Amino acid sequence: MATEPKLSHTAAMILQTIHSGQVYGFSVMEATGLPSGTVYPAMRRLERDGLIVSKWEQQSIADAEQRPLRKYYKLTRAGVATLQAMHERYPLLKKMIADPEVKNA
Amino acid sequence: MNLRLLLRSLPSSHLILRSAACLVPAQERTEWLAEWQAELWHVWHARDSKSRGRFRGSSEVTNFCLGAFRDACWLRWNNPQSRCRRVFRPGSASRCAVSLAILTGISLLVCLSLPGVRSAVDLWPYHDADGLLMISSGGYSGAELPSIQFQDYQSWKTSTRHLFTGLAFYQPIRKRVHVTRHRGAELSIGRASNNIFRLLHWEMAPIPDQSSGDYSAKLFLSQRAWRESFGGDPHLIGSITEIAGQRVLVAGIFSRDSWPLPGQLDAWLLEDERHLSLLPLESKGYVLAQLPVSGSKARADEWRDLTVPREDGFADHFDCISLAQRARQPFSTLLFTLIVALIALPATTALPLGEYPRHSGRLPWPARMRRWIFFWSKIALVVPLVCFTSLDAAYATHPLNSTTGQCIQLAISFFGFLFAFRWILEDQRRRCPVCLRVLSHPVRVGLASRNFLAWNGTELICAGGHGLLHIPELPTSWFGTQRWQYLDPSWGSLFNDAYMPSAGFV
Repeated sequence: MATEPKLSHTAAMILQTIHSGQVYGFSVMEATGLPSGTVYPAMRRLERDGLIVSKWEQQSIADAEQRPLRKYYKLTRAGVATLQAMHERYPLLKKMIADPEVKNA
Repeated sequence: MNLRLLLRSLPSSHLILRSAACLVPAQERTEWLAEWQAELWHVWHARDSKSRGRFRGSSEVTNFCLGAFRDACWLRWNNPQSRCRRVFRPGSASRCAVSLAILTGISLLVCLSLPGVRSAVDLWPYHDADGLLMISSGGYSGAELPSIQFQDYQSWKTSTRHLFTGLAFYQPIRKRVHVTRHRGAELSIGRASNNIFRLLHWEMAPIPDQSSGDYSAKLFLSQRAWRESFGGDPHLIGSITEIAGQRVLVAGIFSRDSWPLPGQLDAWLLEDERHLSLLPLESKGYVLAQLPVSGSKARADEWRDLTVPREDGFADHFDCISLAQRARQPFSTLLFTLIVALIALPATTALPLGEYPRHSGRLPWPARMRRWIFFWSKIALVVPLVCFTSLDAAYATHPLNSTTGQCIQLAISFFGFLFAFRWILEDQRRRCPVCLRVLSHPVRVGLASRNFLAWNGTELICAGGHGLLHIPELPTSWFGTQRWQYLDPSWGSLFNDAYMPSAGFV
């Protein structure tokens, strides 16, 4: 029987932020207002629990924009399912950080 | 260049990140540092562009970099190969022992830092003082307040020569002491007969008489009063001051801050009999007496009365309290409560630690020994913890041997010992005999209504996969106490707790 991981509000907020399109650590910090000492360990924990995955961007993109390589994060299928469960637990989560489809609309 | 600007420069930020990287496990360090340095690049440019809200100043960039330490610590702690994590993981024996040791250390520090408590742990404050008595008109509790009139002391000096080899009087007073060059301070002073130090066997190094004028009494300050009220001035000794209308020589500094005698005194004022006799006859103080040397200890330890006939035909009764016994009172209370708690322990919890199958082939003797060493080390840490905590609570604010202090010490030490021993037994029963970790994941098995047909109780499992613990709900003739069942090593792959999902707390 699969059980949903129980996330704290902060972890759920970070998950929602990544889902909304803020896909690297600095942008998550900007969107949530949380300090780096909270955001990065939380993202490591979410990654360890299989809710998000990380991937380095291509070197050519970074070279073209003359900046260092970035590490991007995105939700896994389990992460999306967990986030939906978290929306029921934390109803204001969606209002705090809008989903990508809401933003586009 | 301003130091603050230097600390907030880009090279300093890189230095912070490199320092934090030292905490990251080696196999992840390169990637971790690359990610943080890339993020720093963005943070730094965000600060420059002023377009983004949060990173407008250099201090925000520094704070961002300092957050790397928390991230690095998290990675270090959650590294499956981390020795630190293995040793201090929740529920481990070492974590329990270290926590107890820290608590014991804190209680000891509190004990040593409070003068009242420190004098309570000073088991033998008097040298060669077996036959020393304190005369009181109200037993142990009455000895905390001055109860003997000065006129009684004066008459006893001659009438009790056949009983005591020496008799001393002291009376606590509060007076302002003013010495040249210093502001002066209000001190609690023990105004005493000049034989009191000889009676208590307190030795003071003789000081050269540096004063030019006459004086009628000598003042001896405690170390604390000398430091706090007179700034530790070494030239204070030999100077003349005036206390209670008489010229006084500051004659010495005691190496100790408190005395296990009634009255919290900062200083002693020793007067000869001629000056002491100027005290009002009805004024009350404390009287100390010395028994003759032969067999004085045994006689002093006995609670004895002193009956003094009065002129009107009646008699006054006084209690003689052994000072050595009085000083040992906190220790005697602890010993008493320890014994009573051990007697009461079986009424609060079962004493057996459970049944463990004999697996001498699988469980080597060092592992079995480790379990018992852990058990006895818990006792060895808990006993001083309860002792020091009860002394801290009892004598931090109450004087030594006060009734309130004794009651507090009695209550805290008894309940402390009782619940500490109960916890030790219960904790030991809930630990894996192999890795000494606290067992987890309790599962209820069976139904209480079928108790006579099938097994009914709780099962706990070792997160390291060493075995299962079966605890019966109702002890029966065939299942009286908890039983441990070892698991085969082939189960090990299922119990790698490093990959257990977290609760997601941030």
